[in-house]
Amino acid sequence: MHLDPFELHRPTSVDEVVGLARDLAGRFDYLAGGTDLLPNYKMHLNLRPHLIALEGVRELRGRSLERIGAMERLADVEAESALLAAYPPLGDAVREIATPLVRASGTVGGNLLVETRCFFFNQSQFWRQSLGFCLKADGDRCHVVPQKQKCYATFSGDLAPALMAVDAEVEVAGADGRRRLPLEALYDPEGDGIRRLRLRPGELLTAVHLPAATRGDPGAYLKLRVRPSYDFPELGVAASGALDGGRVRRLTIAVGGAEMRPVRHDSLTAALVGERLSDDRIRALADAVERATRPVHNTFLLPDYRRRMVSVFVRRAVERLREGTAG
Amino acid sequence: MATGPATDYRLIGGRIPYVEGPLKVTGRAEYTDDLSRPNQLVGRLLRSPWPHARLRSIDVRAARELPGVYAVLTGEKYPTPFGVLPITHDETAIAVGKARYIGDIIAAVAAQDERTAERALALIRVDIEPLPDYADPRDGVGKVAEPIHARGLNGSNIQKEVVQHFGDVDAAFARAAHTVRVKGTFAGVTHAFTEPMATIAEATPDGRLTVWSATQVPHYLHRALSEVLGIPMHRIRVIKPEVGGGFGGKSDPLPHEIVCAALAIETGRPVKILFDREDVFYTNHGRHPTQNDIRIAVDADGRILAYDIDATIDGGAWSSFGTVTTYYNGVLSMGPYRVPNFRYHGRRVYTTKPPNGAMRAHGGTNLRYSVEVGLDRLAEATGIDPFDLRDRNALPPNSTTVNQFRITSTSFRACLAAARARSGWDEKFRRLPYGKGIGLGCGFYISGSNSPIHFTPVMPQSTVHLKVDMDGGIAVHSMQADIGQGSNTLLAVIVAEVLGVDLARVHVQRVDSDVSPVDLGSYSSRVTFMMGNAAREAAQQLLGQLLRAAAALTGRPVDDLAVGRERYWSRTDPSVGVSFEEALRKAMEESGALVASGAYRSPKLGGSFKGARAGTAPAYSFAAYVAEVDVDVETGVYGVSRVWAAFDCGRALNRLAVEGQIEGSIHMGLGQVMGETMSYRGTRLMNPSLLDYKIPMPQQMPKVEILLVGDDDPEGPFGAKEAGEGPLIATLPAVGNALYDAIGVRFTDLPITPDKVLKGIDQRTKEGRPWKGA
Repeated sequence: MHLDPFELHRPTSVDEVVGLARDLAGRFDYLAGGTDLLPNYKMHLNLRPHLIALEGVRELRGRSLERIGAMERLADVEAESALLAAYPPLGDAVREIATPLVRASGTVGGNLLVETRCFFFNQSQFWRQSLGFCLKADGDRCHVVPQKQKCYATFSGDLAPALMAVDAEVEVAGADGRRRLPLEALYDPEGDGIRRLRLRPGELLTAVHLPAATRGDPGAYLKLRVRPSYDFPELGVAASGALDGGRVRRLTIAVGGAEMRPVRHDSLTAALVGERLSDDRIRALADAVERATRPVHNTFLLPDYRRRMVSVFVRRAVERLREGTAG
Repeated sequence: MATGPATDYRLIGGRIPYVEGPLKVTGRAEYTDDLSRPNQLVGRLLRSPWPHARLRSIDVRAARELPGVYAVLTGEKYPTPFGVLPITHDETAIAVGKARYIGDIIAAVAAQDERTAERALALIRVDIEPLPDYADPRDGVGKVAEPIHARGLNGSNIQKEVVQHFGDVDAAFARAAHTVRVKGTFAGVTHAFTEPMATIAEATPDGRLTVWSATQVPHYLHRALSEVLGIPMHRIRVIKPEVGGGFGGKSDPLPHEIVCAALAIETGRPVKILFDREDVFYTNHGRHPTQNDIRIAVDADGRILAYDIDATIDGGAWSSFGTVTTYYNGVLSMGPYRVPNFRYHGRRVYTTKPPNGAMRAHGGTNLRYSVEVGLDRLAEATGIDPFDLRDRNALPPNSTTVNQFRITSTSFRACLAAARARSGWDEKFRRLPYGKGIGLGCGFYISGSNSPIHFTPVMPQSTVHLKVDMDGGIAVHSMQADIGQGSNTLLAVIVAEVLGVDLARVHVQRVDSDVSPVDLGSYSSRVTFMMGNAAREAAQQLLGQLLRAAAALTGRPVDDLAVGRERYWSRTDPSVGVSFEEALRKAMEESGALVASGAYRSPKLGGSFKGARAGTAPAYSFAAYVAEVDVDVETGVYGVSRVWAAFDCGRALNRLAVEGQIEGSIHMGLGQVMGETMSYRGTRLMNPSLLDYKIPMPQQMPKVEILLVGDDDPEGPFGAKEAGEGPLIATLPAVGNALYDAIGVRFTDLPITPDKVLKGIDQRTKEGRPWKGA
């Protein structure tokens, strides 16, 4: 497998990026760490003739308790012990992404926007051609759910559920200027799996903002995968919250690695506000999240099993949160 | 741990780092892809996207006309069939008439660069008639609509059927006190060596062809190239650069090696074919997916009375080593136990999937797993401890099995004793809390296939040449193939040990058929035993020349001379002696450079019935492993925390290498138990990548304690036997039996993934069975 030639652009400012994005509309990809994009390019997945490298854009850097630049390397974030301690789900998640080598290259923005995965999609051109291309690349049908005109590829980033659970916001820049939106609003619930982000054409993710309100709140991110390293999540559950006198003041659950997008289950956690986190309530919440989660058969582990693990993981994550409060 | 009788060996039995180690760890060792030739072209293969198709026509005109393309080949040009076994030549370099699996080679291109080659492949138009595909071997045992090969038995897809019966199995079952039946299902696994296949070929105007290739068996490649290309062997030169692992996957002569040579001949330019990982997966030749069904009968004391076995083995598209596989699945399941009555019915069936072949512990793992699970169940049924049950069934030394395998050395009982003591078995077995468990599994493997694959001409299995010249360096030539397992180091150690010289004097030469005498290569765990004996014989011959010279210099008779470090000295007067270099110079006065040649010939072994040679070996290795597991009973995720590996490889010649082989074998065995699987949907391989093919990570490696307990083997070099494949086998059942101890569930469908663990717990709970037996 080889990389087809592309034209590489090396802007040094966000304004320059936005200008390039306008000029190259629809014919480019952003290149951050390249750990996912370049293997996909080798497989000839949705090639674009231009790559806009974000490496040289200073504004996309910087990490503090309030803000993490989109181009921050995962390994550098991993080294920020105060930041990780302030947001426990983030700490759990970043340490579990892929391998140390991938984290040395991979970025925060890249992980949030990582291409969804499916074993009918993440294959070589030869493989995909031999089966018939799928609608996510070069084709017009889904091999997972053939009756639907929709892509069921799984969202496989670890940071998104962890950051969603702590109420993170993202900052984006585009031709219309800059805006901030809650992280969960980045992932379009109305999307068809191909169009899955609420980004306007050419818009660039520039930073993650971490709210002071959830700083120091206990929480956890638990990841299911076949091997304790290297593998993408087959399920990722983040919990974050705060208890007052044993009663829930705030509780969020976010699930990734299970469906087309990471999902925050606010409607299920809302009922627990003001309540004590009893074992029964945790179990009921866990079962409810499981019922609301519907993985399909497009990763290594079987969907029934992954779904069953949702309740185990939610329960364990909330228990960790409760213990964190107690401690 | 203690091993063998004390000796005064200088190097043998030590921990000797690989002689090529410094080059490998600094990136200086040369693998095939590190080499290139002037004006080299890139070879690329067009693979079949169809599992089974008649090739009506292949239009290569547009590809040929593309600038930068030097040759486009289809199957008709070199249609001579080949295969690793002379009796089952059913492969061609490029498909002729039919494509037989997704990934089968249907055309090849040589071009100036990779992109041009791939563009050319895209321009090839193939007109096909789709044929029925066969994913499940069970669908191929009767007559089929479109046999995958004409040679299938009676219009079926059966490639090989073996029926063996020794003793009287039915009578044995009739008098059995306990019987057990285990039906096992085993997914295919693949070698996943580090270095993808790579070949360079160059045809030169002097009428010769040179092929550099990542191969385990340069000699079989040499023969196959000659047969298919129609070039006498003496005009072909095969060179084996460093090889980054093989595990059986580089032991067949492979189609791309022949294609590469053919492209070089067609173009007159050097051609390189380098595989990517997906190519490696399609080439496969990994462990066969297998369904086996075994019944074991024991008497009231737990003594094995009989095995009755049925096995269906998924061959994939080619024969490869399949005839051997079919025999091995049966006959290698008996040792380390005495089995007085044995019946086996095995069949290997072609399917339209990537071919299966030899993989580390070839034919020795799958039925072994079922046997060991069966024995664990029988131990429970009879109330006998699993160790005791195995101990009382151990094959004695110097015995003969019911199918006439000659057993000489065995320290199997010592393996059992060591594993039992070190693991704390008696305190732990059936006493650990829910979710934690301990299990025993045993193993047995050939130390070199006694039968060479080719019977003509009759010749030694291994020959080693030595040459020592003015510089005092000793050049060692042999076609043995170091593929990372340490055989170069072993050659050097043996030669240095015998001659008494420093290891640094010994230079093991790169395998080159122009100068290396034939050794049949790295498969069937034959190298230490066979090459080791040949090397020892050659070194002793050379020593004789040196001692005669030393005798002339010292005036002492040869048999008074002893070998010291770099010195030959008189036993009667140790002050009298000469250095190695002095002896060498004296010896060279007569003949110039000294040369010596040693060889290993197999003894005559085995019975006279059909298939009697399969599984005969001049010695066998034995193993008893204990594994400890820790199961998360809510998720089914488990880890193997400890393994105690008691192994009988006779005398360990290079302890460091033996330990490395055992640790690596355990890792590979864990892969097959825990998650590695050639995952198919129908005939389509779903996971041809190392991200989706789940080799265990380093974090998953248990703490391993290695217990080397072998006595010297009477025929092995310095008493050694194999340690390259046998150490894998016991890993699987040790884990399976430990899981039972942990959660009370028997697993007979491998790999044992977390979802299966949970299902097993559910089922056990539903049946109301306790988690600990008895």
